[in-house]
Amino acid sequence: MKKGLAFMLALVLCLTSAAALADTKVSFFTGKIETIDLLNEIIDGFNAANPGIVVEQEYQNDASSIIKVKFASGEIPDVMTTYEQEFVDQGKYLDLGGMNEWWERLIPSMRESCTDLKTGLQYRVCTNVTMAGFFYNKEIYAQLGLTPAVTWDEFVANLTAIKETMPDVTPWFIFGKEAWHLGHLIEFIPHGYLKQSLGTLACKAAMLENDSAKLNFGAADGAMAVFAQNLLDLQANGLINDDVLTATSDNCVEAFVTGKAAMFSNGMWALSGLLEANPAMADQIGFAPYPAYMPDSQPVVLSAEDSGYAISATSANVDAAKAFLSYLFSAENQKKYSEALGSPSAFMDVQAAWAPEAFVAEVAAALSSAENIGFTNEKPAGFSGDDAGRMVQDLLAGTYDAQSFAIAYEKAWNEGF
Amino acid sequence: MRVKRRDYTQWMSLPALLLFCTFFVYPLIRGIGMSLTDWDGMGKATFIGFANFTRFFQDARALGDIRTTLIFAAGSALLLNLFGLLYALLMEKPFHGRSLARVIIYLPAIISPLIMGYIWYFLLQPGRGFLYHAMAQIGATFPLGNWMGNYPTTMAVLIFVNVWQFAGMTMIIYLAGLQNISSDMREAALIDGAGAWQRFTRVTLPLLAPAIRINVVTNIIGSLSVFDVIMSLTEGGPGYATESLSIYIMRMCYGSRTGYSTAVAMILFVMILIPVVISMRLTRARD
Repeated sequence: MKKGLAFMLALVLCLTSAAALADTKVSFFTGKIETIDLLNEIIDGFNAANPGIVVEQEYQNDASSIIKVKFASGEIPDVMTTYEQEFVDQGKYLDLGGMNEWWERLIPSMRESCTDLKTGLQYRVCTNVTMAGFFYNKEIYAQLGLTPAVTWDEFVANLTAIKETMPDVTPWFIFGKEAWHLGHLIEFIPHGYLKQSLGTLACKAAMLENDSAKLNFGAADGAMAVFAQNLLDLQANGLINDDVLTATSDNCVEAFVTGKAAMFSNGMWALSGLLEANPAMADQIGFAPYPAYMPDSQPVVLSAEDSGYAISATSANVDAAKAFLSYLFSAENQKKYSEALGSPSAFMDVQAAWAPEAFVAEVAAALSSAENIGFTNEKPAGFSGDDAGRMVQDLLAGTYDAQSFAIAYEKAWNEGF
Repeated sequence: MRVKRRDYTQWMSLPALLLFCTFFVYPLIRGIGMSLTDWDGMGKATFIGFANFTRFFQDARALGDIRTTLIFAAGSALLLNLFGLLYALLMEKPFHGRSLARVIIYLPAIISPLIMGYIWYFLLQPGRGFLYHAMAQIGATFPLGNWMGNYPTTMAVLIFVNVWQFAGMTMIIYLAGLQNISSDMREAALIDGAGAWQRFTRVTLPLLAPAIRINVVTNIIGSLSVFDVIMSLTEGGPGYATESLSIYIMRMCYGSRTGYSTAVAMILFVMILIPVVISMRLTRARD
C-alpha cells in the first residue's frame, strides 16, 4: 500500500516537473482594455506556433498602480505595457536598444519618443501614434460658418457664436468628474506651450531637473496662470457645461453624438466610443489643434507614442518575451492592433484603416498645421496627472483664483520632486 | 487503573491565534516599522524617525481629510443607530408583510458599497440624474442643485447613501437585542404605570446596551475607514474636498510614498481606537 502510494506520488512529481520544464511561461501585464480580446487572439496564435512557450495575459484597470504592488512584491511580469520614469530610474526595464528588427521598422521620431532622456537608451517599443486635440462637430461648425480657431481669441469667439446661436448646445464640454481629463488639459495646454516654446528636448530636461526659471509655473503672467484665468473666464461666461465638476466621459460622448455638445478635448482613444454610440456621425467628426493662448505661442496638437511595450530587467524569460513581442509586432498583427486601438501604427510597413477616411484627413490637417508635442513623461513621481486634474477641479469649484492656482501648482510640482 | 486525562481545550484557540498573529499582529508590527521610513514602495527604505508623523500634521490636505472623515463618521454613526433602532422598533411589532419589509430594509446592505455609490450617482447626478429628470417631469426643481459644488450638501449626500445602505444591518442587531428583552420586564413596567416613553427609556434602552455597543463600535470603525462610497460618488472631489483618510492613504501609497502612507494608516488606527475604547467603556459601565 505504502509502496503504491510512494510510486504514485513520484509519478505525479515527475509529470508536473516535466510539464513545468516543458513550458516557459511569459506573463504579460496590460492596462489597455481596448486590445484585450485582440491580444488574446494574437496570444493564442503565438502559443500555438511556439510549443514550449505559453504567454498569459493579465489585465488590470488600474494598471499603473497595480504594477507598483507587483514590483514591491517581486511578482514582476515579463512583459508589460506600464511605463514610468521612476521605474526607468530604478532600473526596472530591459534595454531594448539592440532590437534592430523592431526599430528599423518604426517611424524614427517614435524611436526618439521611446528614448529615455537620462540614459539615451530605449526601454520600451511603442506600437502606435496617438493624437489629442479638440473633437468638434463639423455640422455645427458648417451651419455657423466657423473654422477651427488658431488663436485663443478666435476660440472664444467660436464658443460665443455657438452659445448665442444654439443655446441648447454646450460650446465646450469638459467632463471634470474624471480628474485625468482635467490633468490632460494641463498636459496639452500649459505644458504644451512650454514644450512648444522651449523645444521638446529642452522642456523635458527642464522638467527632469525641475528648472523653475524655465518652467516658471507660479508666474502671474505665466502659462499656468493664463490657462487658469482663461478657464475661469469660459466658466463665468457659460461657454463650458454647468455640470463640469460632475460630468463623466460617458455624458460627454452622449452629448457630442446627439449634437448637444459642439466640441470636447480628448485623444484618439475616444474615437471608437463616439462611432459606437453613433456610427452615422463618422463623417461629421472634426479634429483641431489646441489654439495658441500665450502671446508668443503657436497652436499645438499631441502627437505622441502610444501603446508601449517593455520587458522586465529581471525577467528569466527574456528570449521568450522577445519572441512574443516580435510576433505581436509583425505587420499582419499590427494592422489588426491598430484598427482595434483606433490609432495609426508606429510601424512604417503597416497600412491600417484605423479611422474613417474623413477623420484621418482631419487629423492629418491638424498635425500639419500645428506644433506637434509629446506627453509629459517627466512629471515628478509624487505629482501625477490626476493630482493636477484635482487642482483644476478645485479651480473650477472656486477654491483658487488664477494666480493662487499657479502658485499652488508650482508648490505641488516642487513637492512632488 | 486510573487514566490521566489531559485537557487540550486551550490548544483549540491556536488556529485562531495563528490567523490573528499572521493577519493582524505581524502586519501591525511591520507597519509600525515601515511608518518610520521613507520607503517609496520599491527602493531602499531609510529610517527617518517620526518625520512622517510630523509631516502629516503639517499637511493641509491631510488635516482636511481628517475633518471629512470625522464629519462622515459622526454623522453616519449617529444616523445609522437612530434609523437602525427606529426600524427595529417598527419591525419588532407584528404586522402583515413584516418579513418582506425587513428584507427590503436589509437588502441594500448585501450590495457592494462601490456599486451602491454608482447607483446613487446615476440617481442624483446634478442636471443628468434620474431624480433630476423625474422632478423636471412634474415641474419641480431638483432640491440638491449642483450638490458637488457645495461641501455641506456633498457630505450630506455621502452620509445619506451610507446610512441608507447600512441601516438595515444595524436594525438586525437591534432586533436581536429587542428579542432578548424579556416581555415580563416590559409588562411589569406597564403594570407599574410607566408610559410608552418611560418604558422605552427606562427598560428597553438600558437592556439594549450590548446591542448599542456592538452597533456603535462597528459603525464607528466602518465610518472612519470609509473608502468605497466616497470613491464611487465623488472620488474625493471636487479637488480633495471630500477625500477620506483611507483614500488619502491609498493615493499616497500609489504615489510612491509608501512609508508616509503607512504612518497615516497608524494615525487612522489610533483615531479608530479612541472612540471605540471610549464607547466600550461607557456602555460597559451602563451594563
